[in-house]
Amino acid sequence: MFDREEDVLDRVIDQLRRPVEMDPTLDAAVMSRVAAGEDRLGRLAAVWDWVSRPRDIAVSPLAGLGLAAVLVGIVVWLAGRSPQIAAPAAGPSTVQFVVVAPGAASVSLVGDFNDWDGGATPMQATRNGALWSVTVPLTPGRYRYAFLVNGSRWLADPAAPRVQDDFDAPSSVVTVGG
Amino acid sequence: MHRSRWFASFPLALGLLALRPSTGAAQDPRLERRLDSATLQSVSAVIDSARLQGLPIESLVQRALEGAAKHAASPQIVAAVRRLAAELGTARLALGSASSPMELDAAASALRAGVSPADLTRLRHRRTQSLTVALATLADLVASGVPPDSASAAVIALAASAGDDQIAEFRRAVERDIALGAPPAVAAAVRVDAALRQTSGATPRRP
Repeated sequence: MFDREEDVLDRVIDQLRRPVEMDPTLDAAVMSRVAAGEDRLGRLAAVWDWVSRPRDIAVSPLAGLGLAAVLVGIVVWLAGRSPQIAAPAAGPSTVQFVVVAPGAASVSLVGDFNDWDGGATPMQATRNGALWSVTVPLTPGRYRYAFLVNGSRWLADPAAPRVQDDFDAPSSVVTVGG
Repeated sequence: MHRSRWFASFPLALGLLALRPSTGAAQDPRLERRLDSATLQSVSAVIDSARLQGLPIESLVQRALEGAAKHAASPQIVAAVRRLAAELGTARLALGSASSPMELDAAASALRAGVSPADLTRLRHRRTQSLTVALATLADLVASGVPPDSASAAVIALAASAGDDQIAEFRRAVERDIALGAPPAVAAAVRVDAALRQTSGATPRRP
């Protein structure tokens, strides 16, 4: 029994002592892959160098004005989207009202949709208390509304059409759906 | 004896009933909570009259509540509700009795802004779809400074072929142009031309 085990052990040792035959093309394949990786890294480095290198750009006054006009257009477009109305497929639309009231202790949204109740829809302050906003669901219709600042001062929405007022206090109007 | 005393008090009870403020239908509890009794009585009379004429009354209630919230004087609140009721009546005459409450509300706003009843009628004849957005656009354009005649001409021109979303986009474009300094009438004229060119090949949308 021991003889057989030693015989098997000898054959395993012989097998392990045989030299491993490598594919003769292996070295070339490895080196070509390494070279390709270096090329890719080189291209990335070149792009990064191009975008990060400071340079002087000459722009004609006309192109500068065009660029400024595009930027102003983007700003106006963003500013003109209030109140923002997102209409779902069915049911009321969600309308966000935003107003800038720096230093205000409280701001409420008051209008046709909450029976002109100053306590029904308080707005939340963001950005150091200057910007106040609230989101309300509104069914299709045309609503008059205003912002009530500190419970006593009425403020129209500068981002919405104003309506002629019967009570010597400003109001705005928002139309939802049709 | 008791019986004769009851009969004697019956006319008195009838008299008291007759003297009770006559407001027709039950008063709106929202108004009862927010208006003093004299204002409530006058406003309720206007609302009852509007209800009998088949006019939408919710906007009248809201106008009275707005006045109460803004601490307006009683005569001011009554006058505002009465004026709105008259505008709703004029709007219905101009648009027809089949008009929806939303259309009448928007038309009343347009009338208040200075649009003529004749232009409202032209708009009704021109457009088979709901007029709410078109009328609201009309009122908003005038509020933005577009002369009523120019605003009416623009919206009536768009009414036949443009959908509500296109009319709303037209309004936004005009308001953007005005914000950038364009004269309101010019902004409306330029934008309506562009909108008409855009919709000329489009099929009118149906509600």
